Amino acid sequence: MSRWELFIKFALLSSTSILSSMSLSRKTLTLITLAWTMLFITVGARPEFPFPGEKPVGPNLHALVKADIQVDPEHRITKGTLLVRDGVIEKVGKDVKIPAGYRIWDMTGKTIYPGFIDPYLLPDSEDAGLLELKHDEHVHATADLSFHGTPSTRTDSGEKGPGFEVSGVHPERRGINDFQPNDKKWESLRKHGFTTAHLAPSKGIFRGTGPCVLLRTGDPNDLVLKEEVAQVIAFDPVGKEQSPRVYPSSLMGTLAVIRQTFIDTKYAQELILYQKKNPVPVPVVPHAGIRSLQEVLNKKAPFPVWFEPGSCLMESRALSLGKEFGVHPVIIATGDEWRRPDLACSKNHSYVSSLIFPALSKLPDDEDWNQISLDQLRAWDHAPGNPALLAKRTKSLSFTTSGSSLGEFHGNLLQAIGRGLPEEKAIAALTTNPAKICGIDRFAGTIDKGKLANFVVVEGSTYFAKEAKISSTWIQGHPFQYPLNDADKKKGEKDGNATDEKPLNERIAKFPHADRKALESPASVLFTGFKLWTCEKEGILADRDLLVRDGKIVAIGANLKQTIPKDCKLVEGKGMHLTPGIIDCHSHAMILGGVNESTLPSTAMVRISDVVNSESINVERQLAGGVTACNLLHGSANPIGGQNAVIKLRLGASPDAMLMQQAPSGIKFALGENVKQSNWGDKYTTRFPQSRMGVKSFFANRFTAARQYDIRLRQAQEGKGPPLRRNLELEAILEIIRGQRLIHCHSYRQDEILVFLRTMESFGVKIGTLQHVLEGYKVADEIARHGAGASTFSDWWAYKFEVYDAIPYAGAIMHERGCVVSFNSDSPDHARRLNLEAAKAVKYGGLPETEALKFVTLNPAKQLGIDQWVGSLEVGKDADLALWTGNPLDYRSKCEQTWIDGVLYHELNKTREREKRRTKERDTLVAKARSSLNGGKEDKASAKSKEKFFRHCLETACDLFPHSCRTHGHQHQEGSR
Amino acid sequence: MKSSAKILLVLLFGVHLAKVSWGEPVIYRAKKVHATPFLTYEPGEILVENGKIKAIGKSVKKPAKCKTIEWRELEIYPGLISPGSSLGLAEINALRPTRDEREVGSHTPEIEAWVAINPDSELIPVARANGIAHALVVPMGGTISGTSGLIALDGWGVEEMAVKKKVALHLWWPGHGISLPNPTGNSKTKSIDDQAKERKSRIREIDEFFDQAEAYRNAREAKVANFSKIPGWEAMLPVLSRKLPLMIHADDVRQIKAAVEWAIKRDYRYVLSGGRDAWKLADWLAEKKTAVVYRHIFSAPSQRNQPHDRQYRAPAILAKAGVPLSIGLPLGAWSAANQRNLPYHVAQAITYGLPREKALASITLEPAKLMGVDNRLGSLEIGKDATFLSCSGDLFDLRASVKHLILSGREVNMGSRHTRLYERYDNRPVPKLK
Repeated sequence: MSRWELFIKFALLSSTSILSSMSLSRKTLTLITLAWTMLFITVGARPEFPFPGEKPVGPNLHALVKADIQVDPEHRITKGTLLVRDGVIEKVGKDVKIPAGYRIWDMTGKTIYPGFIDPYLLPDSEDAGLLELKHDEHVHATADLSFHGTPSTRTDSGEKGPGFEVSGVHPERRGINDFQPNDKKWESLRKHGFTTAHLAPSKGIFRGTGPCVLLRTGDPNDLVLKEEVAQVIAFDPVGKEQSPRVYPSSLMGTLAVIRQTFIDTKYAQELILYQKKNPVPVPVVPHAGIRSLQEVLNKKAPFPVWFEPGSCLMESRALSLGKEFGVHPVIIATGDEWRRPDLACSKNHSYVSSLIFPALSKLPDDEDWNQISLDQLRAWDHAPGNPALLAKRTKSLSFTTSGSSLGEFHGNLLQAIGRGLPEEKAIAALTTNPAKICGIDRFAGTIDKGKLANFVVVEGSTYFAKEAKISSTWIQGHPFQYPLNDADKKKGEKDGNATDEKPLNERIAKFPHADRKALESPASVLFTGFKLWTCEKEGILADRDLLVRDGKIVAIGANLKQTIPKDCKLVEGKGMHLTPGIIDCHSHAMILGGVNESTLPSTAMVRISDVVNSESINVERQLAGGVTACNLLHGSANPIGGQNAVIKLRLGASPDAMLMQQAPSGIKFALGENVKQSNWGDKYTTRFPQSRMGVKSFFANRFTAARQYDIRLRQAQEGKGPPLRRNLELEAILEIIRGQRLIHCHSYRQDEILVFLRTMESFGVKIGTLQHVLEGYKVADEIARHGAGASTFSDWWAYKFEVYDAIPYAGAIMHERGCVVSFNSDSPDHARRLNLEAAKAVKYGGLPETEALKFVTLNPAKQLGIDQWVGSLEVGKDADLALWTGNPLDYRSKCEQTWIDGVLYHELNKTREREKRRTKERDTLVAKARSSLNGGKEDKASAKSKEKFFRHCLETACDLFPHSCRTHGHQHQEGSR
Repeated sequence: MKSSAKILLVLLFGVHLAKVSWGEPVIYRAKKVHATPFLTYEPGEILVENGKIKAIGKSVKKPAKCKTIEWRELEIYPGLISPGSSLGLAEINALRPTRDEREVGSHTPEIEAWVAINPDSELIPVARANGIAHALVVPMGGTISGTSGLIALDGWGVEEMAVKKKVALHLWWPGHGISLPNPTGNSKTKSIDDQAKERKSRIREIDEFFDQAEAYRNAREAKVANFSKIPGWEAMLPVLSRKLPLMIHADDVRQIKAAVEWAIKRDYRYVLSGGRDAWKLADWLAEKKTAVVYRHIFSAPSQRNQPHDRQYRAPAILAKAGVPLSIGLPLGAWSAANQRNLPYHVAQAITYGLPREKALASITLEPAKLMGVDNRLGSLEIGKDATFLSCSGDLFDLRASVKHLILSGREVNMGSRHTRLYERYDNRPVPKLK
């Protein structure tokens, strides 16, 4: 390019930036960029005039002849001609006349494909891989007294200048500003057929944008096809990496940040509009971050958004978050979509997927296979089939090389095809689809007249053969040639047909959701011959039948058998016991990506409902213990924790469908040692509060702030004054004051309990439950008078100083003094046997058995405000039932069946059969793995692929590191209270 | 509970309030006496004199001047033995000053647990209130953590409480997990081959330590010149001479296999502790006559997608194969406060197939045997210690209550921090409204 042309380009570039600062829409910019690109391509048509000493370049006029040309995924020209002029495809077809002066390339026996496009190329550094969300694993490694949370009130991201204050939120970052060709990496990409890439930003939550560039050598100014492709938003709890940790350090915190950031952007728009009508001396100037997100939220011409959710279930969350804010994201897939294709995939969205498959390692001893779980084996066996699944169940699929090893790209692609990915879809995933989502489809992606001369030449008739070899990659008409050496040639000839003989790697692993589902959902069921523990004043009823229709208990009475419809299912008790389903008032068993957002002292804005783990094995294990509903709570690392989620254990349902819709909203609060960081180690002594004095002040402060917020909110709603910035933290607290949100407050000592009651009373708030409340027995009368529920442990004590006075009689004392008492689990282990925990209320304090059972049925239902629907056997309530082989308080009884909404989810025999099926499946997968290893297949795999085999995805990792609030840090599986 | 109710209970259960001086003969008469795991008298009587059982049966011959204590509604069981805990060593998990169950150093055989028992730990009366009469206290930390001791959960001072100061030397078998990147994830990634080598070398290190111990013993016996005694090696001698067993802690199949094979190869006395996956090797362990202390009834299955009741069923599998089985809680400060729930861990195993007699044996006779105190403890037989409890019903039933504990003929106070606080706050007058 001549100096003159460069000048023009710079002029255009600078005018572009001037225009952008004048807040023109991105679409206009895109058009300008496009126009500029075309200009530069046509300008570039003239041969450059080299300076003395510069190496001259030959003319850009090429004729590729006698080639098979794959014009686009569906169309192929055999023995055709392709004319390239000045970097652009001039003509393509079967009978094309070659003008004089063109360099002729004989392509006999070769096939030309459109140049591959990588739509999500991440920087080539160690810490810039695809996001793989993890659960807190350090609980494993830490000593007893440490705690994995690291507190800070610091919210600044540490960046200079204006912008969003939260760490990782920098949508204004433009990768183009730092763009530099990466010669080494690009060379290997070209060798693999890639001509173009979107250089995606890799750091943060709102990551900003990256350019789309040509992957050839040269002046960076000549390579940019598009300055900004999309705003990339990753569900990355970036605060976790900092020391001390900063907000957000958990997955739910990250989602709250995304929400608040969009809200702030909308607010800025409203404020600007308002100030236009009501001028002020110094009008607000939105910072660059806001400006870039305004374009994302622009309804008429939205700037594209891409989400990188980092886990299978989070893909589904990304889709719903997109809906919430009216954006239509491209989704970066995880490769784990097979876990829940019904949730992770969307026919309306485009997906980008890596091609990395777990690879086996030879394990030293036979016994070592015992440590490999069914889940790991399934992940290994499903991986090659996942692209086909994505291609089938999404709007479009594109492949990226990010996250994988380039050397395995082609082999893995063939494996994917072997598992049903149609070739044309594979071509589309490399060409037209990425072109489309990157917004460059008008000039890239196919071999059509007028498009950029980006293409790949492959030896032989197809790229989709094991021995296929790329002989040249053309970018803008510049050929990069990879001539065959003699050995390759011979190999190619010999193995021409060899690929067909390769045995198919057929999937034998099952889909997890295939047997994670309801066993039976009859329209009506009659339970007859049971002892019915009504948990109502009727006590235990013998000789009564219970009739369920459409998920509700419709009748309890004698001899209902005569009146039932024909198709009614009959369940005969023969002396067994039937109780309401067990309700666990304090659980952390099914939460993704961290139970605590432990950074800020108030995280009222985070929501457990964003991160419910429907795939947790605990759903099954707890169903087997008769549990039908649980209260999923944020941890106790801060005085005001996050919003809770009351769920029913509807195995196989989506996280959202597990939520119990009628349940009132709630929120976790906490007092005492945990929130003042007493047991976090000596480093953590600066976050307010550090004493129980401060805890009280903290609540008074936030509640007063919420009241002020309320006043401003009302003013704003009445149209008085400027618009109000929605504050999700204060909004949640305001809902408490308005009586729309129940407090579930982790508490131990009598003084803090009493003071908390009084503090809340001073704001007119009635507490939902006191959780743990181990010294509640000392102030039981006061708790009863206030009307708070008491949800405690049966007999835990002495794990820290504030529970030295905990006694197992607490439940009985509080009950006798008029509190509504429940026993909760706070541990996935205890949740499996809450019926037996309830029996301890008989042992300690001598409560009648019927009262004891209420501690895990009706009373938690009352505490959660759901006793209208569940908690007892009463006509009109949900048919949430547990069947026991004997008295549920007797250790010899097992839970025989568990029903939710009249649907059968657990039946001991069937649960066991399912477990046997899984054991068998695991055995066959181990056999498959071992036999494929005997083939000596493993050595070729990259370290990345081998590590992937051992990895636990977020949904399963959460089960490996159970949490509870009892302590923080512990020696074994038992959680922490 | 109101005091009137208490009087009623006294009447109902015939609790004898008359004081019996220690040493005098006394007969305990109960609805049932579970004398050994396999032998029950119904009704039953035990004649106790000088802290020992003089006679036992459906009815025993009453000596002159003998008092009878009527427990007509109660059942008598041998005092329970916890086969491993931090009772007395650790008080409050979160508070370092209150914890003595763990020492630094990788090989500290000279460490003895009994010396650090706090006789006035509030945790001890809570445990014994549910019938735990004896507990093995285990030192932790490192590969060889030291020697455990058996204590009675009552007595004036540690010396009186210590039933057997040296019960077993504790060997914590190295982990065998293999993963990429490393299982710990914090050091540099090592290849699987390197990890396998490391695994072997860790076992060689153990071998080497014992080889050196043997060499020390030989040098000592040969009375070589300038021989100097070293406390650590001295503490190893009882193991080498087979006087003291090793308690080897291992959970994973590979660990268990390697540990047992190692112990057999070296011909040491040993007991396996932990045993999470031991059920997989049940027949093999039975064949090797390996006693197992199983500590994982309420642990989650070690892998996702394993049967939900995998760990509940494990004791039954071990017992059926003929493995001498004791049952304990997981070790460490965390579970010290929960020792009272020992019978309920066992109860879960009963429901999932463990025969009742084996269940009772697992917390009485079996631990007594593996600690070498079955001549005194573990069952109610003539000549053994008069250490037993009375229970309002089935010991394993969570609704039943332990009413008395007799330890070597002495009635133990069943009060605890919990009953004291209960009484205090149960009697709190209802506060007036302000």
